Amino acid sequence: MIKDTLSMFWWYSKTSLNSRLQYKFDAILTTIALFLGQATSIVVVYFTLLKFDNINGWNINEMVFLFSLLFLTYGIFVIFFAGLRDFKYRIIDGAFDRMIIRPRGVLFQLMSINSDWLAACGHGSLGVILFIVSAHNLGIEWNIQTVLYYILAVIGGVLVQAAIFLFICSLKFFFGETDNLRWLLYGNMKKFAGYPISIFSKGIQMILIYVVPFSFVNYFPAQFFLRKEDMQGFPEVYMYIAPLVGIFLYLISYFFWRFSIKFYKSTGN
Amino acid sequence: MMVYFEFVKKKFLNNLEYRFNYIMGIISTILSFLIFICIYKALYGGAAEIDGITFSMVATNFLLSLCLSNVYKFDDEFIQHKLRDGQIANELLKPISFKGRLLAENLGENLFGVCFNFLPTLFIALFITNIEKPASAISFLLFLVSAILGYFILWEISFIIQTLSFWVFRIWGISTIKNVIIDIFSGTMIPLWFMPQWILDFIKWTPFDSIYFTPVKTYLGQVTSNQLLINFSRQIIWIIIFFIIGHILWKCGEKKVVVQGG
Repeated sequence: MIKDTLSMFWWYSKTSLNSRLQYKFDAILTTIALFLGQATSIVVVYFTLLKFDNINGWNINEMVFLFSLLFLTYGIFVIFFAGLRDFKYRIIDGAFDRMIIRPRGVLFQLMSINSDWLAACGHGSLGVILFIVSAHNLGIEWNIQTVLYYILAVIGGVLVQAAIFLFICSLKFFFGETDNLRWLLYGNMKKFAGYPISIFSKGIQMILIYVVPFSFVNYFPAQFFLRKEDMQGFPEVYMYIAPLVGIFLYLISYFFWRFSIKFYKSTGN
Repeated sequence: MMVYFEFVKKKFLNNLEYRFNYIMGIISTILSFLIFICIYKALYGGAAEIDGITFSMVATNFLLSLCLSNVYKFDDEFIQHKLRDGQIANELLKPISFKGRLLAENLGENLFGVCFNFLPTLFIALFITNIEKPASAISFLLFLVSAILGYFILWEISFIIQTLSFWVFRIWGISTIKNVIIDIFSGTMIPLWFMPQWILDFIKWTPFDSIYFTPVKTYLGQVTSNQLLINFSRQIIWIIIFFIIGHILWKCGEKKVVVQGG
């Protein structure tokens, strides 16, 4: 069963990548553009810190480490969950109706048909580069514990974002159009997430911890490695439970999805 | 001329229909502004000024350039869409200048942006933090002139990118790369006062600082009348350069168009 699932995922990925590579120049350009588009924020931080040295005690390497988690998790996210990102179009073009009558899980099909490997390369490669550079410069000590924590934190970070997307997709069964809501919650809050949340006011911190929990994608995992002073403002336990938050949230969203899908009405013939 | 004015009006009214979009636009600008304010509060750490630049000057820079950049909206993929679905044939047959019509529509859209995005955002931002007043009534007027010139620089760049779709399959990548470069070097994301000198030496030879930073400096009254003249002529020279490049590209592209049936 698992072997079957994996081979199907592989097959779907290959075809979707193939279709993008039909226009090779465009594929390369798109990847570069995605890479640069994401790199903008880190370039800005670099120039700013040339002048100011640190943001609330975080120097450039620590900032890069913080950012790298954001890019890396999003890079992996679009491999598995781009279908949730483009969910609207799957409903409009009727592909979703087809998925429902196929003998496989709807969510699995959504996930595998749409993997966006170009975005994964663009975001992911930036994340990997920044991670290697910053982890090296910071001299992070790698042993079984830290490696395991890092892997789990990345998976957790992917799942936090997947949970947000899945939750908003589920709302679509009730409200129709939810793209604006997603943009409001995800797109806007992500802008905050690159920075240590301690620089923001209490209200924004609360949102980033409890409403759109981006802080568990990068801030708390980064604190596990860096132990900066500003962690004192938050319960220390958040650092340790960060990898679990994603799994927990994803399960909640998953059950909500299972519940809401019953209310699906097709858009037409 | 009246025809073009109609286009301006149509686009303006058209935008009124998408109320949700402009509320989102305001929220997005305010949040970006808030982030920069928080970052620079942390960076300043209570210092009154750094290199002669006070915190409220930084706030003013971010507010004005973010608001302007949210008003200046360009659809870089417009010509591409027209080419893809063959509509370009109809467009070329119309007895009006294609570029003039694009400009008119864009003006309508941006006029809308000024009324329903720029002004409300400015108003809300006043409650967030202290914003510098314009240095004088004259510098405010000069700021407006400079901001409009900045708009035309961006518009001509956008037109050049658009015409490239005669040769490139998908313009999205090029358009994004262009936006990245403008974001970094124009002062919307880092005030150019704080850029390292070697970057400033490079920017001097580019149009990027003429887009947002020149208007902001004019607003703050940071320029002498001599520099003012240089700044304005730099803006105009860039508009002329980009206009010529865009014109040549458009003429070449127009010749290349082959429409299949219809």
